[in-house]
This record gives sequence, C-alpha cells and structure tokens, in this order.
Amino acid sequence: MQNISKSFGSQSAVESMSLTIKDSSFVVLLGPTGAGKTTTLRLIAGLEKPDSGKVTIYGRDVTHETPAQRDVAMVFQQYSLYPHLSVRQNLAFPLKSPVLKTPKAQIEKKVDAVAEVLHISHKLDNKATELSGGEMQRVSIGRALVRDPAIYLMDEPLSSLDAKLRADLRLELKRLQSELGATVLYVTHDQIEAMTLATEVGVLNGGELVQFGTPREIYESPSSLYVATRLGLPRINTLPADLFPAAPSGARTLGLRPEHIAISEGTAADGQAARVTRVERLGDQTRLHLKLTGHKVITLADAHSTVKVGDALTIQLKDPLYFDRDGARVERGNK
Amino acid sequence: MIEKPIERVAKATPTGMARQIKGLSDKAVAWLFVGPTIFLLLAINIFPLIWTINLSFTNFRANRPNREVEYVGLRNYERILTDSDTWLSMQATAHFLFWTLLLQVLIGFALAWLINRKFRGNDVWTTIIVLPMMLSPAVVGNFWTFLYQPQIGLFNYVVSFFTGVDPSSFDMLGSVDLAPWSIIIVDTWMWTPFVMLICLAGLRSIPDYIYEAAEIDRASKWRQFWTITVPMVLPFLMLAVLFRGIENFKMFDLVVQLTGGGPGSVTEMASINLKREAFEKWRTGYASAFAIILFVTVFGLASIYVKALNKVKER
Ligand SMILES: Nc1ncnc2c1ncn2[C@@H]1O[C@H](COP(=O)(O)OP(=O)(O)O)[C@@H](O)[C@H]1O
Ligand SMILES: [Mg+2]
Repeated sequence: MQNISKSFGSQSAVESMSLTIKDSSFVVLLGPTGAGKTTTLRLIAGLEKPDSGKVTIYGRDVTHETPAQRDVAMVFQQYSLYPHLSVRQNLAFPLKSPVLKTPKAQIEKKVDAVAEVLHISHKLDNKATELSGGEMQRVSIGRALVRDPAIYLMDEPLSSLDAKLRADLRLELKRLQSELGATVLYVTHDQIEAMTLATEVGVLNGGELVQFGTPREIYESPSSLYVATRLGLPRINTLPADLFPAAPSGARTLGLRPEHIAISEGTAADGQAARVTRVERLGDQTRLHLKLTGHKVITLADAHSTVKVGDALTIQLKDPLYFDRDGARVERGNK
Repeated sequence: MIEKPIERVAKATPTGMARQIKGLSDKAVAWLFVGPTIFLLLAINIFPLIWTINLSFTNFRANRPNREVEYVGLRNYERILTDSDTWLSMQATAHFLFWTLLLQVLIGFALAWLINRKFRGNDVWTTIIVLPMMLSPAVVGNFWTFLYQPQIGLFNYVVSFFTGVDPSSFDMLGSVDLAPWSIIIVDTWMWTPFVMLICLAGLRSIPDYIYEAAEIDRASKWRQFWTITVPMVLPFLMLAVLFRGIENFKMFDLVVQLTGGGPGSVTEMASINLKREAFEKWRTGYASAFAIILFVTVFGLASIYVKALNKVKER
C-alpha cells in the first residue's frame, strides 16, 4: 500500500499511509477509535476508493479492482452476517462462490472444521439472528477463515467478546495463522492483542502511521511519546525530564515504564525519594502508586511485596526514555 | 402510601368527574374506554355477519319484506355450488387474481429495484409512479373507458403505433377475449405502485454492509440478487400479495366502470355476480349464502397464506 490518502469531505481519515505487509506475516494496526483503522482496511479491501495512492497485492496493482477480484477476506467490526441464513449457510456462503468451484463435501468439511475451532458447532443450524453478540462475531470470523485469500483483514474481531473467550480466540487465531502461513492485517485498539498476535505492529494516530516495527521494537524504542503511551500496562509514566539528573539535551519529558524504575526501601543516597500512596494487589503482581515530588508514578512490585501505604521509597532509573518538546524520542547515548 | 394510577387520574380530574370516577376499579375504567369501540364493532361488523348467516338459510327477498320468510335449510348453498354461473364467476375471479398478482409483483419489484439504485431524481420518479394509486377507482375506471375507445382512445393508438395493427380493429372492452385483460391492465396500472412501495421498503431494509460482506465473499451481483435481495424482500413481497389478493378477490369498482361484467358475462367476477343476485334479482337469501361462501373462501385462503408468510419470515 503506497501513499494512500482518503478523506470524507473535509475530514481526513487516512493520510498518505504506506505499508508493506510481507507474505505470512501477522500485522496489527493499533490505534484509538477514529484513528482510521476501519478506513484503512476498507481501502485495502476495495470497499472505499482512495483519493490518491495505490494498493498492490503480490505486485499487482489492484487499486481499481473490485473486492471480489482482489481476493481478500474481511471480518467486519459490526458482525455483518446474512440474517436470513443459518450459521452453516453463512459459513458456506464464501465457499459457494462460483469462482472457487468447491465440491459440496469439501464445503461441509471445511465449515465443520472452522465451527469446531470457533466453538460454534452446536449452533450451526441456528439462524444468524438467533445468536449472542459473541457468537455472531465468531461466525463472522469463521466466514473469513473458511477461505484461503491473499490476505485476511480483521477489524477488531475480538472486541465484543468476553475476556476469557477473547484470550482463547487470540491464541487460536495466532495458532491458525502460523499453521496456515496466512497473511493477516488485523486492527485493534487493544494493546495486548497487538503485542501477542503481531509479527509487526503499526501504530496509527489520526490517520497517520506513526511507527511500524516488531512488537519488541515498538515497546522498547518507541519513536515518540504517543507510541510509548499506547503500549505497556500500567501506562508509561511521564514526568518532566529535569526531575532526575542526566537528561540528554533537548529532552522535555521522561518516560518511565515499571522496568525503568528500581525501587529500594528506605532512603538512599542517590535517587529520588517517593512515598507510597496506594497499593493495588492484583494477585500475580502488585501495583504501587507513588508520589514523587508532586508527580504521580505507577509501577509494579512483586506479588508478595510488603510495601504499605505511607512507606518511603527511593527510586533509581534504569535506561528510561526521553522525549523532546514535540514528543519525538531523544536518544540517550550522547549525554 | 403509593398512589394507585386511578387515584392519580382522579386527583388530576375536575372534582365533578373525579367523584364519578372514584369508586370504579381500574378494570371498570378500562371497559369504559373500550366499550364504545366494542359496541360499534359488534353493531356494524359482527351482527351483520351473524344476520347474513341467518338469512343464508332462508328464502328472504329484500324487495318483499312483508312476505313470510321460510327457512330452507342448506338449499341455497346446494344451488350455488351446483350452479355453473357460480363456477364461471369464480373462474373469472381466479383468472383476474392470478394475472394481476403476477404482473404487479414482477413489475412492482422491478420498479422498486430500479428506483432503489441511488440515481439522481429518484424521489421525483417515485412520486410520479405512485400517482395512479392516489386516484379514485371510479375516476380511473371512467377515464380508461375513454383510453380504450377504438376510434379515439389513446390506448388503442399506442398499441397500433407499436404493433402496426389498425387501432379501430380491436375493442378492449367489447371483445370477449380482450375484456378480461382490459381490467387486468387497469388494475395493474393502478396498483403496481403499491406493490412497488412495499418492495422499496423491503429493499431499503437491507443494510449496505450485507452487500459489502457479499462483495468481499466474492459473490457476483447476480448471486447477491438471488441469495440476498430476493430472500430478504420476500416477506415484504408476500405481504403486498396478501393485500392485493384480498382486495382483488372482491374487485368490483373497476369492473362496474369498465365492462359492467360484460360482454356477456366474461368479466362477471364473483363480487359482480353477488351484486346481481342481491340487488337486481333480489334473491337476498341466496346472495347471503353466496357471500358466506366467498367469505369462507377468502378467509381460508388468507389463513393458509399467512401461515406460509410466517414460515418465510422465520426462515
Ligand atoms: N463513511 C464515512 N463518512 C464520513 N466520515 C467517516 C466515514 N467513515 C469514517 N469516517 C471518519 O474517518 C475517521 C476514521 O474512521 P475509522 O476508520 O472508522 O476509525 P477507526 O476504525 O479507527 O475507529 C473518523 O474520524 C470517522 O469519523
Ligand atoms: Mg473501526
């Protein structure tokens, strides 16, 4: 996809975005609501015509082709099932395309297999409207999975499912993708999905692709403050850069993730003093809310930490991130 | 203490009325409201029906109210069902029903489909197409008799323009072969817009994203039409057929205006036949029995049809 732009009236939805998706990769676009995720997918699918730029699939320029010619599968954000058909018929619909000429027995086998994976076998003969939201979404994922397209496009497919199912399906999707060697472009606002599923993550902001790289790269060396705040739980803490010594020149903001913070109890010579204001015990970990010379900092401690509210701690930094006035990353190497 | 609704009503009503309403239970008030409606319904629908059933077993003649009325048992029914005229009129009705429904469904759906493709000025076209439906059947029947005039009629002229036959060589209303078609044409002209409107509602109820999904699923336009458009509009279409079917089963006004049942009795449909028996021959008992038979027929057909309709909707 090269230099794609699309605007609706004066509202620009996607701005000169360029993106190359390698064969068999699982690319996740991460961005908040309104970032242009859906529009990006629709542009690739051919449901929207770009104002400028072009889309190529395997080197073939498909900008002016219909969705059917492009051979893409898409899972829509609102489960767009065929309401008058049963679940089985919904799943079989793409396979019955005359382009494919799939034999009947094979259609049945494929539908059953996909239903199995998505745990909807028992609902196969239900009408599409007689399903819960989660089931509908699974059918709509299934309708893409029965196919073997050039690329799977998925628009927040898991966002309407409950937590357990979401975690299960996340693993299942990942497994299927690597098994089939499928190429997937997946958009979400959920950073956990992005981190767990992706071979590459693209971060969207206001219709622009602000960073593209492996989940590790994006997490460990975000190119901007915006990208840094999109990833990581608890969210990265942002403090004025001059709170600690040794800030590189030009740095305005200091970004602290829990792993950038070393805590020692009591007061120590070097480091900043902080006070515990709240302790959240989440079972597998403990979240500490600290007050550091008037700034709030949230960090993690281990599950059995004995820290109590009111305790005084000392904080030392381990390779934190620095950002300049515009939020761009400032490298630390040259002090 | 929580106020009962009736107490709230009583409080909000002027004292005079409140005094009267107080003391009545909610149920009594409810009956007070539906009572008049139920009374009217009984008086103008149910009672005449029962009275007609009663009359259908007699030899009563409305033009001789003083003559003694005899109960004749099922003889009226027997005579109707063995009368060949009855069957001819039923056949005329069936022929008319079949062709009007078929033409109106096909043309109405096609028009709706065309109108639904979002082109410029489609709302103007909708208005124009819907116009015939808004006219009174009496007016429509009247001016079509002029259109059907062999010498000066526009209809004959248009037909001759396209086919080259002499316009005065055929008479739509006067010919035994053409007269049934003359009514079918007028009814189709007048009521196709109704079917179109209902189909349009059906088409508009199909969300765009369904077509987008189908597009992605590589369904051709042809396949989208048959697997999405048609099945999803079908319940609407069947509803239109139900309305038109019941309406046309008792088709009366256009026939009276156009052919009056003639020539001979080729356009004498059941309702025309019934009117003749009741108000020309004054065989009230016989006509009542005929009316009951027609009623049962429509009712039976409609119930079977509604069952089918519900099945389609459930699918
Ligand atoms: N059909 C449309 N008409 C007008 N504006 C649209 C349309 N689709 C999307 N937009 C606008 O484009 C922007 C991006 O939308 P979208 O791609 O749906 O975001 P996301 O999927 O990331 O939530 C939003 O500001 C939205 O209001
Ligand atoms: Mg979206």
